[in-house]
Amino acid sequence: MGVRRRSRRLAAMITVSGLAFGAAACGSGSDSAGSDDPNTLEVWTRSNPDPAATYERVFAAFTEKTGIKIDYQPVINFDQQLQSRASTKDLPDVMINDTALMGSYQSQGLLKPIDPDTIEGHDQITDKSWSSTVGLDGEHYGIPYSRQAQTLMIRKDWLKKLGLEAPTTWQEMLRVAKAFADRDPDGDGKKDTYGMVVPGSAQNGYAAWWGSSFLWSGGAKIIEPDGRGYRPAMDSTAAVRTVTWMKDNLFCGDNGVIQPGAISAVTGTATNFQDGNAGMYLTGPYNIATYDTTPGKDKFEVVPFPAGPAGSTVLADGENVYFGARTGKAKQERALAAFLISPEGQRLAMTGKNQPVVRIPVNSTLDAAQVRDDPRWSVVQKAYENASEQFPNAPDFAPIKQDTADALNAVFTYCGSDVRSSLKELNDTLAGDLTDQDLLK
Amino acid sequence: MTATTIAPDRRRALAKRVLARRAVLPWLFLAPGLLLALVFKFVPMGKGIWLSFFDVRPFLGDKWVGLDNYTRVLTDHRFQDAVGHTLVLGIGQSLGAIVVGFVLAVLLEGQARSLKIIRTAVFLPVVTATAVVGELWRLMYYPTSDGLVNSALGFLGLGPTPFLDNPDTALWATMAMGIWMVAPYNMVIILAGLAGVDRTLYEAAAMDGVSLWQRLRHITLPAIRPAIGIVLTLAAIRGLRVFTEVYVLTGGGPAGSTEVWMTRAYTLGFTRNDIGGASAASVVLLAVTLLLTVCVNYFRKRGDVR
Repeated sequence: MGVRRRSRRLAAMITVSGLAFGAAACGSGSDSAGSDDPNTLEVWTRSNPDPAATYERVFAAFTEKTGIKIDYQPVINFDQQLQSRASTKDLPDVMINDTALMGSYQSQGLLKPIDPDTIEGHDQITDKSWSSTVGLDGEHYGIPYSRQAQTLMIRKDWLKKLGLEAPTTWQEMLRVAKAFADRDPDGDGKKDTYGMVVPGSAQNGYAAWWGSSFLWSGGAKIIEPDGRGYRPAMDSTAAVRTVTWMKDNLFCGDNGVIQPGAISAVTGTATNFQDGNAGMYLTGPYNIATYDTTPGKDKFEVVPFPAGPAGSTVLADGENVYFGARTGKAKQERALAAFLISPEGQRLAMTGKNQPVVRIPVNSTLDAAQVRDDPRWSVVQKAYENASEQFPNAPDFAPIKQDTADALNAVFTYCGSDVRSSLKELNDTLAGDLTDQDLLK
Repeated sequence: MTATTIAPDRRRALAKRVLARRAVLPWLFLAPGLLLALVFKFVPMGKGIWLSFFDVRPFLGDKWVGLDNYTRVLTDHRFQDAVGHTLVLGIGQSLGAIVVGFVLAVLLEGQARSLKIIRTAVFLPVVTATAVVGELWRLMYYPTSDGLVNSALGFLGLGPTPFLDNPDTALWATMAMGIWMVAPYNMVIILAGLAGVDRTLYEAAAMDGVSLWQRLRHITLPAIRPAIGIVLTLAAIRGLRVFTEVYVLTGGGPAGSTEVWMTRAYTLGFTRNDIGGASAASVVLLAVTLLLTVCVNYFRKRGDVR
């Protein structure tokens, strides 16, 4: 069985990789040994080796407690591998991945519906969190596992050297960015520093991911609920105003406000904050552990995102626990989910020397700053609880995010472009995406 | 009792006769390879073609849509742009790599030990993983004077250029990297061709006081035509399915200016989960590549006959 399954999976992997680019289809090495054993759960997370070590610790504790074994696969190119597995109708039992992907998975029928009442400890998760896992048909398709919101990482040693305060509005942020670029904050006598790090590439939708906090703080929306469906909203005055502001001030403005190459940077290549030559980075809190090593814990602080014309609303996202469709291990899966959301499971995943995989706990009995004994996390938790918004999770958001990123990247690339007509075009594209999903009302 | 001793002999003889038949032995040796190719190449290829006619939803049941995926993919203006970029990149990269490969081969021909070392060094890009090459070139193209290329330009008094961030230069920058990667491969094939050139022709030409250009034009080029033919065929196959270079270097950006056929198919399949559309795009690519290869081969053979 094992060999057949593997060859089928490999065959499928090559199939969906198209007919030509075998190079991109490297195997995950998942062997799913003993995945037919009812007492073994195959679990997938989208993790690099470092956070994977944290997961391993959590799963080891679970196995010790319940005797249920975990065949754990940290998968880096998760989406590609999952589509390959889906084409062989052989999914992992449990997956932990982004909240915004729920609609995409559910629309493909990859997920088992979940009744919250059957999960032990479900009442320790707030209704607000539970409401974020409801699909288009009103059923739950995920269990909240970790939440987070974007905050601004800023070099406090640079602020101090230049006699500046952490910015609270976009205008102040711009002023600080220019000072970081022009006034030699690292004191080496060379003009080699930049104000802000931006992952602005359209690849994997980064421009939309990073830009959404600006859009929301500027009063814009990508799509809006409308009756029983959705409608695109990127042609609003607020959207035009916000995107114009970003284009004029960040991408086409003074040299050095953002890092060179921002327009083709993804998070993996936008390492300027870590390299110590950029002073601000609007990003998720999972980076805190990394930045504590370089540039160093004493060198930066975590502050709320400066307010735009409509206040400060940042992108919140996080991860859910999903149950793969068509496996018969419901009891074991529920046991794992119950452990993962329990105070013990969450605490384990939030601490340790590796990158934490639970950022803001979904378990309401826990407090992020307290568990970690690190007040910076309360900044993140406050941002999540009071001033954040998620990508809509019920529709399939993947094409919407990709199209938005493509349009934003093009606007930021061509400084002479007309923002209003570009966004009008984007709006039409988004309407097409929603029509494809029968959601345009 | 004798039967038992005779039977193995007979069987061996029979086996010998069967193996002696011309067709069997080669097939026997080929069998493992063919089996692997069948399972890992031709069956998935067939399935890919099959899927291109469906709205692919593994768990909800695939829905037959006929040629819808093809019309959708082929009428998508972003895909048309991508095809245009693929042609520019494929043709430019192939020709560039042949020219550079030829120049390298002419410069590095010979027996000297030092030449062997230089040839090995020049060949390195071919054996380096494309992803690594892409990362390296991204650093070399770094848009300030810290980048290798830009610091070199600085010596010439030219300002730093954002090669990969300017939609007008990104495709050419990608092409330059592609040429750098493929040229040494062509060099090896052309070197083999050059080794077969009759030396006495050069000597005779030298006595007649022929210029360097005339020597290249009338002796070297005709002599290495078979090698050029092989290089062209390989380039035709490779040119259109360019993926890793672009994916690593620019990811198709900025503003889609380096989006090529395969990166578009990849985005369709894996970011938008449109497996049917991605399959259709790949099938069209397969068809075009096949056509191109057949064409190149046809012209090559006609040239050889003449």
